[in-house]
Amino acid sequence: MIEARDLSKRYGDKLAVDDVSFTVRPGVVTGFLGPNGAGKSTTMRMIMGLDRPTAGTVTVNGRPYAQHRAPLAEVGALLEAKAVHPGRTARQHLQTLAATHGIPDTRVDEVIDLTGLTAVARKRVGGFSLGMGQRLGIAVALLGDPRTLILDEPVNGLDPEGVLWVRNLARYLAEQGRTVFLSSHLMSEVALTADHVIVIGKGRILADTPVQELLDGASRRRVRVRTPQGTDLTEALRREGAEVQVSDDGALDVAGLDAPRVGELAARAAVVLHELTPVSSTLEDAYMALTAESVEYHAEDVPAVPATTSQGAER
Amino acid sequence: MTATTSTTGAPPSGTAVHRVTFWRVLRAEWIKFRTLRSTVWTAVVTAVVMVGFALMMAAVMRASTENPEMQEGMAQDPGLQAMGMTGTTVITLGYSFGQLAIAVLAALVVTNEYSTGMVRSTFAAVPHRLPALWAKLVVIVVATVVIISLALGVAYLVTMPLLDDAGLAVDLSEPDQVRALLGCVLYLATVAAFSLAVGTLMRHTAGAIFTLVALFFVLPIIFSIVVSATDAAWTDQVNKLLPSVAGERIIATGPTPDTLLEPWTGYGVLAAYTVVLLVGAAVAIRRRDA
Repeated sequence: MIEARDLSKRYGDKLAVDDVSFTVRPGVVTGFLGPNGAGKSTTMRMIMGLDRPTAGTVTVNGRPYAQHRAPLAEVGALLEAKAVHPGRTARQHLQTLAATHGIPDTRVDEVIDLTGLTAVARKRVGGFSLGMGQRLGIAVALLGDPRTLILDEPVNGLDPEGVLWVRNLARYLAEQGRTVFLSSHLMSEVALTADHVIVIGKGRILADTPVQELLDGASRRRVRVRTPQGTDLTEALRREGAEVQVSDDGALDVAGLDAPRVGELAARAAVVLHELTPVSSTLEDAYMALTAESVEYHAEDVPAVPATTSQGAER
Repeated sequence: MTATTSTTGAPPSGTAVHRVTFWRVLRAEWIKFRTLRSTVWTAVVTAVVMVGFALMMAAVMRASTENPEMQEGMAQDPGLQAMGMTGTTVITLGYSFGQLAIAVLAALVVTNEYSTGMVRSTFAAVPHRLPALWAKLVVIVVATVVIISLALGVAYLVTMPLLDDAGLAVDLSEPDQVRALLGCVLYLATVAAFSLAVGTLMRHTAGAIFTLVALFFVLPIIFSIVVSATDAAWTDQVNKLLPSVAGERIIATGPTPDTLLEPWTGYGVLAAYTVVLLVGAAVAIRRRDA
């Protein structure tokens, strides 16, 4: 169980996390979704007591992280894949952390086996691929058999088999009654893994909802209609319970009715149609719509002519 | 990734996880210290070079007994006189190199965690942070004491025949020589603590090493030139209060010149700097984001 109350973090004059409150419950996988720079990692670092909140509080299993006597038994975290000295072997890295909690080497070897690192456990981490580093980070998170798991972008750099493994592992841990909080900037990833999702953008919570609800909202079909008799059609459609909006180019955006039904209603009202297009919105569309206003780094429109100046290089 | 992965391997119930204690953190820091090749190599090289310096100096001293000109030149060197010229001076001579190696080693103990990101793993396991800092302090100070004691012991044994020939045998019944020998260990252990604090405050490897080399190597050289070139009193004042110039008085066996501090006073100055820096490091490590 993770509870954040009015949590804020300011770096200089930049508000990275802005008065955020949420609860992550045990027994389900909770996704933490947002574009890069939205404040996901900062929030997770505050949960782990690594960054000090500018305002607000966050507790894990009822207490601030630092007040737990055996913190690794409460929370296991994968914060960055490479929070490791490259000169140590994977096993040595795990042993240094295990030693702080008196965790025996047998458990170290267990998490090594569990994360599939057996073959490379005695190799230096410096030579690890991104995916192996990620597995080591997950091994660290599992080391203390914690009740709560915090995984920041766990599938980054994993091969398809690894991605599937992380998904199953997250679900499996949640089924055991643990709290699993997993961040991603990919809606599709969260949709596949999580039961509940908290969407963050520019440091604010944009949605805190079961994934199914977000899916339902996204899969609801819309229809684009173009007609010279907009007012008449709108009236007819609204009488049938549809939501109608006039988009910028003058077309009508109809939600709640499918295209054949819109056509029938138009015919009955003797309205001429110039266009009738079913528009299916994807999950990514829903996510984009939710976060469009809050994307931290907008890509500049790429100029049609190859630019000779360095204008595209600035971030 | 050739390894097979399993999702069915349930975390065993009853994994032994205990609460964090200082001793456990100390054990963790010791594992960290001994599992890095760079630390082990630096320690070995430091000891070897200290023994080498002692051997070289002993050979020079022995050669000088057969060469009156050389003897006269050394008798007139003010630097050598302030150091004193006893058997202890010879076997501790390598401290000037040793202090740089120890300073870099101690700073790296902290800065390598910041440069690699390891510090986040450390602080996640030890969220109170201070036990980790004190455990690092204990590890680097004890390691320094062991390395330097061993180096001095070996230097004592291998230079014994040469120094006997030169009439400069280490005399352990002489309080000044015993003080200088133990002082060498104490001085370098204090340099280690000083450097750990600087590393913790600066967090960046390059910045910390630059600062330490400037403090322990470059400034003393500059000041020794300035002091002999001018009569300005402030240069003497600053010079004798430099961390290394003050602290290394504990290793000297000669009479104390007017321009320098008494051995224990000098060491006290270095120790005071070290305590202040450690307090600053403790405050900083608690307050800053990792």
